Amino acid sequence: MIGNQVALIRRELWEHRSIYVTPLVIGLIVAVMSVTGQVAISAMDHAVDIAILGASNLGAHERAAAINVLMISIASLFVLAMWVLTVFYSLDSLYAERKDRSILFWRSVPVTDAETVVSKLSVALLVIPLVTFAVIAATHLLVLLISSVWVGIRGGNAWHLIWSAAPLLDNWAATLIFVLALPLWLSPFVGWFLLVSAYTKRSPLLIAFLPIILLPMLERSLIGSSVFAEAIFIRTGKMPLLDGINAGEFLQGEENLHKLTESGISLMSMIDLGAFLSSSGLWLGILACGLFTTAAIYVRRYRDDS
Amino acid sequence: MTSLVSARNVSKNFGAIRAVDDVSFEIEQGRITGLIGPNGAGKTTLLKAVLGLTECQGSLSVLGLDPFRQRKELLQNICFIADVAVLPRWIRVSQLLDFIEHIHPKFSRSRAENMLGETKIPSTAKVRELSKGMVTQLHLSIITAIDAKLLVLDEPTLGLDIIFRKEFYGNLLSDYFDGERTILITTHQVEEIENLLTDVMFINDGKIVLDAGMDELPEKYVELMASGEQADRARHLNPIFERDVFGKKVLTFEGVGREQLQGLGEVRTPAIADLFVAKVKGATA
Repeated sequence: MIGNQVALIRRELWEHRSIYVTPLVIGLIVAVMSVTGQVAISAMDHAVDIAILGASNLGAHERAAAINVLMISIASLFVLAMWVLTVFYSLDSLYAERKDRSILFWRSVPVTDAETVVSKLSVALLVIPLVTFAVIAATHLLVLLISSVWVGIRGGNAWHLIWSAAPLLDNWAATLIFVLALPLWLSPFVGWFLLVSAYTKRSPLLIAFLPIILLPMLERSLIGSSVFAEAIFIRTGKMPLLDGINAGEFLQGEENLHKLTESGISLMSMIDLGAFLSSSGLWLGILACGLFTTAAIYVRRYRDDS
Repeated sequence: MTSLVSARNVSKNFGAIRAVDDVSFEIEQGRITGLIGPNGAGKTTLLKAVLGLTECQGSLSVLGLDPFRQRKELLQNICFIADVAVLPRWIRVSQLLDFIEHIHPKFSRSRAENMLGETKIPSTAKVRELSKGMVTQLHLSIITAIDAKLLVLDEPTLGLDIIFRKEFYGNLLSDYFDGERTILITTHQVEEIENLLTDVMFINDGKIVLDAGMDELPEKYVELMASGEQADRARHLNPIFERDVFGKKVLTFEGVGREQLQGLGEVRTPAIADLFVAKVKGATA
């Protein structure tokens, strides 16, 4: 079972190269922007020198907070891309093999349908987040390195200004937990996408999102309740991981930035793993994901349209 | 002899259509069986049931396993090509070999690489870059490098040129078939596999209309080419089918001794294709 999973997951990475190409491209763009950005700023010669000098006089907390915000903004770009990637990957994962009829080949090797579908779920919930995290960390290092070189050229002390202040491990630990928790929290959608992907004969994107949009509207107009709408929107909004902070608006609220500076610049201290793991929402979501995934396995096993 | 495939009263419905209708047969180890039938006769459905790809009614046992419920165990010991064009187009040849090597306990990579070495297929190429013939060569190289007890070929040479088809069947006999292995094969080009088969099954409208060893055919079936009055006399022996060839009548008989037809014209054993037409058309006439 485990041996097959390794081979099956490798297979997914061969087919869906976007899983690592997308984050790498984003990392490259961020790095290029960081170089050009700094070159552009250099035009304001005198002001920049003063700013670097000023930064030297700032407290360690303020410098750490500034670097933390930089690292978070970089990471959030990747997290956004990760979710888009996950949606498209899971919608494609059981649909493409039927479209090109290669399913006949994949089902001719001694692998069960359950093993295949589980490998695709693992890619969505585990592999994509881990790859994304690795590229986030590498991009962080690259950007800080570029900044160091630049600060060094301007006569600043990069070690003092950047590296001694950068809360790398704390930020990375929190980012890793976040990128792993987010797909888990949204796993009912992933399960649903897998089911649509295994079932639909055409346009999986449309088939997947239509009920998500229409059902709450129908429920409201026909029954007058909004159970379905709440189930969907609460899930896409607040995740009980970040100490009640709305992840989607994390970088927009002034308040959050204050909280960040006050909290001793530790992102980890803002993460409440206990609350996340003990929230009924998480486990209900995982249950829903499990049911959808099981349904997807059955559809792949019993359908016969080849 | 052990039965590798054993089917008793196997049926499969698609809605109101009965694709396989109460079929029973045995396939023994070491045989090369041709499953022959017109389009829509239920060939592919029957093969799918044997391969555990579709559920069916009745009792079906392949290598002693229930194909639908024990598909994974089954697929470790059988191989099949369902259709030539099904290899994923995005995969590289080397990746395909890596994958099968990991997933299939009975795959010999060196054997597959040897076979690929004799073709013009580069290991770095993607399937989409290969010609149709090459894709089939690749698929066959993989399949025949698996030490399987049962090989199922569903129209393996569909759309390939005659040189390749001849080569393929030649290799199948010389390199793959060793008397221990069992092959089940369907094709439209019956003439090409006629000399290769040890057994033949005809399927029509979901029913098996003939199931015999090739060596039994000359005893059971006789074809007579006659004209005029001789043909009239031969008709009294109840031919199962009659056709015209160059102004003469060709009558096919089942269970009629050759000595009974002596003197009525040219007597011979019917070719599989002709016998097939006789059985299928004779039944509906």
